[in-house]
Amino acid sequence: MKFIKAFKYAFNMVMHSRLRSWLTILGIVIGVAAVISIVSIGNALKSEVTSQLGQLGGDLLTLRAGASRAGGFAGPGGFDSGGSASASKEEIVIDKTDVQVLKGISGIKLIATEISGRADAYYVAEKGSTTVTGVDPAVWSQITTSTIRDGRMLGPADTNVIVVGGRFADSFFSKQLGVNHMVTIEDRLFRIVGILDDSSSNIYMPITQAYTVLTDKTKDVYDQVIIKVKDEDELNQTMDDINYKLKIARHVISGKLDFTLTSNKERQAQRTSMLASLTTFLTAIAAVALLVGAVGVANTMFTSVLEKTKEIGIMKAIGARNKDIMIIFLLNAALIGLIGGIIGIIIGTLLSGILPSIISGTGGMFGRFGSLGSIVSLSSVLMAIGISLIIGMGAGAIPAYQASKLKPVDALRYE
Amino acid sequence: MASKKTSSQETILKLENVWKIYQMGEVEVPALRGVSVEIRRGDFVAIMGASGSGKSTMMNLIGCLDLPSKGSILLKGRDISMMSESDLSSLRGHTIGFIFQQYNLIPSISALENVLLPLELLEVDDAAAGRRAREILVLVGLGDKIHHRPTQLSGGQQQRVSIARSLANNPEIILADEPTGALDSVTGNEVLETLRKLWKNEGKTIIMVTHDINIARYAHTIIELKDGKVISTRENEVQK
Repeated sequence: MKFIKAFKYAFNMVMHSRLRSWLTILGIVIGVAAVISIVSIGNALKSEVTSQLGQLGGDLLTLRAGASRAGGFAGPGGFDSGGSASASKEEIVIDKTDVQVLKGISGIKLIATEISGRADAYYVAEKGSTTVTGVDPAVWSQITTSTIRDGRMLGPADTNVIVVGGRFADSFFSKQLGVNHMVTIEDRLFRIVGILDDSSSNIYMPITQAYTVLTDKTKDVYDQVIIKVKDEDELNQTMDDINYKLKIARHVISGKLDFTLTSNKERQAQRTSMLASLTTFLTAIAAVALLVGAVGVANTMFTSVLEKTKEIGIMKAIGARNKDIMIIFLLNAALIGLIGGIIGIIIGTLLSGILPSIISGTGGMFGRFGSLGSIVSLSSVLMAIGISLIIGMGAGAIPAYQASKLKPVDALRYE
Repeated sequence: MASKKTSSQETILKLENVWKIYQMGEVEVPALRGVSVEIRRGDFVAIMGASGSGKSTMMNLIGCLDLPSKGSILLKGRDISMMSESDLSSLRGHTIGFIFQQYNLIPSISALENVLLPLELLEVDDAAAGRRAREILVLVGLGDKIHHRPTQLSGGQQQRVSIARSLANNPEIILADEPTGALDSVTGNEVLETLRKLWKNEGKTIIMVTHDINIARYAHTIIELKDGKVISTRENEVQK
């Protein structure tokens, strides 16, 4: 029997047990939709995190006081309330002397000291609390990976000026802010000179003024020091160098580091791998749904073979070979898988577009991905179609084989 | 007519000491016990017997739907027990047309598609198959009902579709199992007349299985079975 004719009969079979076929298809639809939406949301998250961290530059190192903490989801500036700046003299801090040590290391190109904390900002009659970061105005523009949308970066001679994040300018206050607008921060008046091309509400100001605004900070003590290395290829060696020299300067006994030096590359790798394992876990759950769908296909095919036993007998009597019967039933199962797969992809794609905004609406960790939608790649679509076809045929293989092996005389007698 | 005469002497189907034993749990039940029969090309044969005589078993063997436990069946000189399942399927498709008591049409497709099915199984080219199927349906008087589903046809009409299907591949042998069993006597007679026409006009070999002597009388040769054995073979006075 020609393939196209076998296909016609298989299609006929699907159409003639419509309810059962559709219920089976539904099982595949749910599985494929779950896999597609989870994989594409995972991809979107991964690429977003990668691009955010990628912006930070692979040649940057961050030095903080205290032993290493597990890299969490805190974004830039997330360590604003770190205890390192407390007044106590027992407290472990990074200060001017450490920066002097760093200046003596040959692999370092730039050193940017930073402090950050919460402060109240006023504009006209409105007030809001936001993160203020004090940066070294001479170095910041060279080391930051943020880009300016409007105005300019901070310059070495700046005083009483600030650069603000995009969201701060657009929607922090009821009125949109622009360059040269004046904002009061903790009783001091600042002029906006630049607006960053991002979606943060951060305020950046010269570090000397940040000490006066963030009153709990001690002068010459830094929350973090951003280090730019000369050669990214020698990143590890420079890191070893810094670790070694700082240990000597700070009288650290080996193995008990009181400071943490991390590279953006490391953080990037950490977060990416965390996301990857999260995505893998969710995909595994979705795959179980798909597996259940496959069992449904097998079940339907067994029922179908039973129901069609007499027809199989008739077809064999009038000249159908085992192969013909096998192909018809395999195609039937493949069709169920394929239709389920295609509908599943459509629903999964829609879901992956809608889900992030639903999740971000509840203010979860996906909040900042809300506007991003998702990435449904062609390869994942092709893979889903391939997998649903294989699942259909795999689940239909045994029933189809059984059908093909029916003895015509027994099949004909079946009622 | 001379050539026809010789061909009608040729043996198309030969059963030699055929046994068919069914295993019913511990017990072996012989359905056929050493049956030897020769059917000549172009003959109209009725295999007659009461229920339990083994006639259904014999029809399954003749139709290559089943293989004998012992003995050999030669269809056109080839031993069917030596053939693979696929070869048997092809052999059936090419050589034997089946007519069943319950018609055995595929309910989900139209009359035309039912008749097309054996042609499609043998991969006959679409245009030729379509022509052939319509032609036969017209021949059996269903030219106006080709797109009807079996359920939309009467018993007699369904049996005619089934006859049309059996003729689709122009087989040499038509094997009819109680073809009138589910029909009233008028429609039954029509079906028998159709079979006789196929025998007389088309030169087909007709093998009909029946329990009814009145139906067997339509045939030229009557083989009577009892308890799995041939008890008589006689030629009817019916003439071509």
